[in-house]
Amino acid sequence: MLQSLIKNVWVPMKPYYTQVYQEIWAGMGLMGFIVYKIRSADKRSKALKGKIFASDGWGRKTPSYLFRTRRIPVLN
Amino acid sequence: MNENLFASFATPTMMGLPIVILIIMFPSILFPSSNRLINNRLISIQQWLVQLTSKQMMAIHNNKGQTWTLMLMSLILFIGSTNLLGLLPHSFTPTTQLSMNLGMAIPLWAGTVFMGFRHKTKAALAHFLPQGTPIFLIPMLVIIETISLFIQPMALAVRLTANITAGHLLIHLIGGATLALMDISPSTALITFIILILLTILEFAVAMIQAYVFTLLVSLYLHDNT
Repeated sequence: MLQSLIKNVWVPMKPYYTQVYQEIWAGMGLMGFIVYKIRSADKRSKALKGKIFASDGWGRKTPSYLFRTRRIPVLN
Repeated sequence: MNENLFASFATPTMMGLPIVILIIMFPSILFPSSNRLINNRLISIQQWLVQLTSKQMMAIHNNKGQTWTLMLMSLILFIGSTNLLGLLPHSFTPTTQLSMNLGMAIPLWAGTVFMGFRHKTKAALAHFLPQGTPIFLIPMLVIIETISLFIQPMALAVRLTANITAGHLLIHLIGGATLALMDISPSTALITFIILILLTILEFAVAMIQAYVFTLLVSLYLHDNT
């Protein structure tokens, strides 16, 4: 199947893929970068929302000022 | 009714598996390729149409621009066939999705811009300032031209998405109204049905025009940069 793909697609299209469409490949890289940025920002904002609204097991909401600070455990 | 109105734009799945890739690849079946000198009627008509379109669209380009003929003809055939197939009832139209249209617009627009900066850097930079601008307007106009350059792919994608989505929504709404009016007032339902027929004819035209406009604009951006 790979051989027929190479013979029917790659061989006739080689000058296009290697020379003519170089800038389009660069454009596709730019688009991939934009998609990556949007996805990671979405993931980050969802994770942050999940943390802010998380409860501590007793039904109480953990105050948001307690996140992003190092909490030193107290041993009694 | 709100759920039904937008349900046709949801990503199609069959038994939990997304089949959107198959739907996007489907129009290629309708354009068979042939190695014969004299083809059957379908292929002859398609080849005649492609030749007519390519001659009309690529005549303004130089040799460098004409290397993009294959890309632009594939683009217009894909968008046109996808839009027309979307007019069938209960079908999914990939070009109603902004992600798909941005996926087509950004690489092609960026390709033309990179080509311009790579081969004709001075001319590409000169596009940021129209000829004959008064000196005190230069900073503002450079900003405006830069913004208008970066808006081009967004405009391409949003134009196609909005036109096709709006057409489909209108057909849904007016079709629903016709159905609802049939029990209440058949004469009003008849008028609404005539409006629906006219709208469907309009949507056929819009489907083909939007494909042509998208491809023509990409071709114009290419012409500016080659």
